[in-house]
Amino acid sequence: MASRNPAVMDPILEARGVQKWYPNGYHALRGVDLTVHRGEVVVIMGPSGSGKSTFIRTFNALEDFQQGSITIDGLSINEDTRNIEAIRREVGMVFQQFNLFPHLSVLDNLTLAPVLVRKRAKAQVEREALELLERVGIGEQAHKFPGQLSGGQQQRVAIARSLCMEPRLMLFDEPTSALDPEMVQEVLEVMQELAADGMTMVVVTHEVRFARNVASRVVLMAEGEVVEIAPPEQFFTAPSHPRTQQFLQQIG
Amino acid sequence: MPALLSPLGPAPSRWKRLRSELFGSRVDGLISIALGAALVAIAFGLLKWTLFQAQWAVIQANSTLFAVGRYPIEQQWRLWLLTALLAAATGLSWGLLRALPRDQPSGQRWPFNDRLAAGVLVALALAVPLWLQLSLAIQLRWWGITALVLVLRWALARWGSDVPRRIQRLVPLLWPGLYLVGMVLISGGLGLIQVAPAQWGGLLLTLVASSFAILLCFPLGLVLALGRRSELPLLRWGSVVYIEFIRGAPLITLLFLGQNILGFLLPGGLAPDRVWRAAWVLTFFAAAYVAEALRSGLAAVPRGQLEAAQSLGMTMPQSLVQVVLPQALRVALPAVVGQFITLLQDTTLLSLIGLLDLLGTARAVMANPAFLGKSAEVYLVLAVLFWGCCAALGLGSRALETRLNPSEQARYQR
Repeated sequence: MASRNPAVMDPILEARGVQKWYPNGYHALRGVDLTVHRGEVVVIMGPSGSGKSTFIRTFNALEDFQQGSITIDGLSINEDTRNIEAIRREVGMVFQQFNLFPHLSVLDNLTLAPVLVRKRAKAQVEREALELLERVGIGEQAHKFPGQLSGGQQQRVAIARSLCMEPRLMLFDEPTSALDPEMVQEVLEVMQELAADGMTMVVVTHEVRFARNVASRVVLMAEGEVVEIAPPEQFFTAPSHPRTQQFLQQIG
Repeated sequence: MPALLSPLGPAPSRWKRLRSELFGSRVDGLISIALGAALVAIAFGLLKWTLFQAQWAVIQANSTLFAVGRYPIEQQWRLWLLTALLAAATGLSWGLLRALPRDQPSGQRWPFNDRLAAGVLVALALAVPLWLQLSLAIQLRWWGITALVLVLRWALARWGSDVPRRIQRLVPLLWPGLYLVGMVLISGGLGLIQVAPAQWGGLLLTLVASSFAILLCFPLGLVLALGRRSELPLLRWGSVVYIEFIRGAPLITLLFLGQNILGFLLPGGLAPDRVWRAAWVLTFFAAAYVAEALRSGLAAVPRGQLEAAQSLGMTMPQSLVQVVLPQALRVALPAVVGQFITLLQDTTLLSLIGLLDLLGTARAVMANPAFLGKSAEVYLVLAVLFWGCCAALGLGSRALETRLNPSEQARYQR
């Protein structure tokens, strides 16, 4: 049983009544609340169009919102660009499409931000980056370019790139959805190890096995609202909300 | 053809491959023979005309005029000095490129092309001064300048790798520095006698105007391209209006307009006379087109790239400079260089506003009763000169494209 209850209930992320309308008037988030504690792994599931990706992208201000509040590690997201940059330094994000920088080598992908943003010495960052690449199992590819790697390898590089900034919170936006089936497992394993090391994670995914084995709590979103939040054993075996039952039936 | 398809068979010789490509079937053979005959006939005719029928006296008598216009003869040593400096910088850079370790891309590509280029240079240096019937003193200068390039190329290829990395890194800075020195040498100042732009002409004027416009239109175009994608409405609409206005007007009207209004628009001293006004108009004109080329490059970079950079805490300027622009530039480079080449050719319009650029000089020469009816010779030389400049730009752009291409870089990774 890998799911854990955080020893100290110390919130790192608090979203209160978040509402978002897209410029075309579509009401994407209809008052969403979520609290994530340090060391927790929160998995967000839900049908497509339920607003789960939009929601996770508000955490590092890639999407704006019109009402409500989001506080991350004491910093609240507002109009102030500096504040947003400060939050993004502490929050890593892994995307569905990897979004590696194709014009830089794998190693340079990792070292770019720490050197530029954290103003750290390049040689030291490179040593750490090589260790991180070793940890996600691609140490020997450090000098290749992203285009030469498989999808699974690219996504592991993307995870290492985020980790190289030493974030306090990691966001995963459908990290395995763009991968060929045989590569999903290698990425999930890296994420599982990361969780075991105590990283706080919010993961949007359709991988039921990962949610069952790794999540502290599972969230179901539908139509821009949080429908249910429960520990995985309860979520998957005895969901309280009919919408959750319907969703679980649909994904079989 | 099994010989071509089988990966195990020996690679067919060049000759065999050529034969199979040109004479693969009966129809192919007929087409090849017909086209080949036409090409030979054209080449033969052209050669016969250039060697026996054309009268090159019009070029020989006016070679100085074509090169520098009415630049005062007692100040022409400054141009010789500039040419020698340019030759030295060329030889220096060339030699250092040759000295690059062979495991780097630019090191790998050098050997063959570079000997060919040196051979062409020697052939040109030997043939052209003789053909132009230059005086011995001037012939000697050209040979000296050619020798300078080749000696530096040889010496730095041999000992360049011993030069410390720190100093090698400074060599690219030589070029912008030399550009400024060149501007001073050409126009005067800093103790040199002023030579008014009205006295510049021929190839000199063409090169000064086009290089000035090429260097300045790029940053201006970049600002416009970013402005057009900006979220600030004033900046965005300003860029759109500028680009659409410039692209909607023919260059020649803008050149005439510029002669009349640029004196009021630009702060005093920036466009003091007709030549600089024309150069600024060329710059502003090309900037609009460069902006559109760069915009297509920016649009080709997926939105996720900017998001990834920002999610790592990078600021907007950092994300643009480190992540978005390098990728956008690679996509936009061919279009931008195409624009530079167009710009170079557009300088011929300067002759229509009464400036003596290459074409203006040519028209002045052809108006001389002594050379009536010699326009074919003049235009052919003009075409070859422009072709040379544009080919150089094209070669440079292709080299840069390869350098910016990540898969190309990857091929030479350790």
